[in-house]
Amino acid sequence: MIRKSGWLIFLCLLAAIFLLVYVFAGTATRIGLVYGLEKSAGAEVNINKVSIGLFPLSLTIQDLQVTDAKQPEYNVVSFSRANAELELWPALLGYYVISDLTVEQLAYGSERQKPGKVYRGELAEPGEGDFDLASFFAVELPDADELLARANLTAVAKGEQLKQLAQTEQQQVRQLRDQLPSSERLRELEQQIKAITDGDIRDAADLAAKTEQLRQLKDELQKDKQQLELVKQQLQQSRDNLQTAATDFRNATQADWQQLQSYANLADGGLAGISQLLLGDLWAERLQQLYTLYQMVAPYLPEGSRLEEQPEPMELPGRILPLKQQPYPNFWIKNANLSLLIGGGTADVQIQDITAQHDIIDAATRFTLNVQQLPLLQQFSLDGNFAIFEQLQSEVNWQLSGLQLAEQMFGEGATRFGLQQALLNSSGGLNLQGTSLSQQASVILQGPSFSSGDNRYVQQLTQLLNQQAEIPFQLNATGTVSRPSVSVSSPLDRIVANAIMGEAQAKFASYEQDLRSKFNARLPNTADDEQSLLSLLDREQASTEAMGEQIESLLDAQLGDLRDRALDRLRGRIGG
Amino acid sequence: MFTILARILKVLNSEASPWQIGWAVALGVIAGILPFGLLTLIILLVVCLFTINLSSFLLVWAFSKALLWLLADRLEQMGWSWGQQDWLLSLLSNSETLQLLHLHHSLTLGAFLLSVIILFPIAWLTTRLVLKYRHVLMPHLNKWKVVQLLKASKLAQVYQRMQ
Repeated sequence: MIRKSGWLIFLCLLAAIFLLVYVFAGTATRIGLVYGLEKSAGAEVNINKVSIGLFPLSLTIQDLQVTDAKQPEYNVVSFSRANAELELWPALLGYYVISDLTVEQLAYGSERQKPGKVYRGELAEPGEGDFDLASFFAVELPDADELLARANLTAVAKGEQLKQLAQTEQQQVRQLRDQLPSSERLRELEQQIKAITDGDIRDAADLAAKTEQLRQLKDELQKDKQQLELVKQQLQQSRDNLQTAATDFRNATQADWQQLQSYANLADGGLAGISQLLLGDLWAERLQQLYTLYQMVAPYLPEGSRLEEQPEPMELPGRILPLKQQPYPNFWIKNANLSLLIGGGTADVQIQDITAQHDIIDAATRFTLNVQQLPLLQQFSLDGNFAIFEQLQSEVNWQLSGLQLAEQMFGEGATRFGLQQALLNSSGGLNLQGTSLSQQASVILQGPSFSSGDNRYVQQLTQLLNQQAEIPFQLNATGTVSRPSVSVSSPLDRIVANAIMGEAQAKFASYEQDLRSKFNARLPNTADDEQSLLSLLDREQASTEAMGEQIESLLDAQLGDLRDRALDRLRGRIGG
Repeated sequence: MFTILARILKVLNSEASPWQIGWAVALGVIAGILPFGLLTLIILLVVCLFTINLSSFLLVWAFSKALLWLLADRLEQMGWSWGQQDWLLSLLSNSETLQLLHLHHSLTLGAFLLSVIILFPIAWLTTRLVLKYRHVLMPHLNKWKVVQLLKASKLAQVYQRMQ
């Protein structure tokens, strides 16, 4: 039953497994990392070597480069060496707790020795994503019909609703007339009452009979009065319904028009600011990087607070059960030191407590960066925190001054112009609560120098820009982290617009008029129906008021007259 | 393919008792459906310490690894729904030994529960099948002409080499 050599066989098998893991773990990890990163980046990923250390348990990655799928000559991110020391006991329990992580020479957008391969997505065309100056000066506005088709016009449906309501209510109001006592009937009742009240009372029996007749007539009038009140209420209800529908329609019309204006960039007096066109997309792209961070932490967010469901990765499924007291977060880096290549030098970034389960460690992830007097940067400080408790929350503040900008080109062909040199200063803050983002920043270009080609407009533009000692921009972003809405404004906008966009403004104004008339043509004509219902309601309400007064007067008059005359007669008989 | 078939035939015709083969198959299946970890090593230790047929175990372990990938989603869901019970969560929270076995992971817990359910039935069923094969099927098969022809074939040569 018991195998004598059992322990020996077990140890041999164990040693074989261990050896296999130790020898091939590095290579397997490298292949896995390259496969995973290439899948998400859509471009070539290079890793020189991955090695596993035993004492302490550690993983070292050397020379990692992730190609930028849009610019294969550059990397999205790269570093020369990263080392992570894993704590053994938590690892045995199935938690990844890294006591120290160091990343050396971390760089964004570094140049590659040879272009990397791109596996997914179309390679960006030259200049794609940049501001297209040629079309800007050609003032190529989007087709008004196209814009109207693209916009989800809610006012059309609201208008149809209003029209429908007006027609239905008109029918109902007309039907209400049948429920009212006719004028003939009222006249008849009036005559009957008059006959009773004006006639002589012969004796007590006659008085009793007439009183009974009057009571019956009074009952009928009361019924008519109640019916009249009901009709009055229904008429008022119809008026309220009409007012609500009309207000909804007007609000929807206003909202749709604003939406169309924003699609056509017609806000702010007919011209979008040049700063928005120059910096808007660029800034939105930077903020979009936050979404990458969000996607990483999304699986850890409480259900219901996620922006969208994340696709499941192709690996064995598995979750840690919600233990009463989880000893460690699933993933936790206690200390991370990154040496970041920036401004021609190296900046040290310290990050503490990187995890997505901050409630377990009861602390937020904190990060700081502080550098001064680098070759291309005078000063840069950044600090912030990040935590997931009930929802994702983060706060970041930065102060940057004296960053020498590299030469940059805008536009294409004859309308191409370039920024030759400038110093960039910026300060600002960013706040993320759940999925909603709010960010304010000021950016100042100091001593900018622009170059231009032969185009007259571009020459005017660059000349104007070169005259400025500094160009300030104010950048604000709000909205969700996946779709931030970035607004960039600058006092420069108006100057540029007035100086060189005069002829464009006229074109914008005529376009706006055309768009407005086409928009109005799409809206259903509700005025006739609305007006006829209103008139009908006015007439019917006036008529019911008059009828009410008539009934009231009949009810008031008859009893008093009859009684007085009967009493007079009785007094006469007693007295005579 | 012939080698694997020959190995199976070798085991079936060997001196190994049906129970040794039955337990080897049962433990091989559960080692396969459990994600690799301390539980797998414990199963391996049990196989080594007791006279369980080692080659059957290794063969079944390798084949039944595919079962893990096939059943992973269902096992994970089963483990997750089972794992919501308060007593189990308290037990797992207070015992680092159970956490060392990764039973606080939904997939491992699901696979472990299935293993506990199927271990004895598989061992018993395999034992019965081996007995049936040896006492009923094997003598009949040996009389068939086709079997005699096969014995002269490549499969038989492989089998002979392994003997």
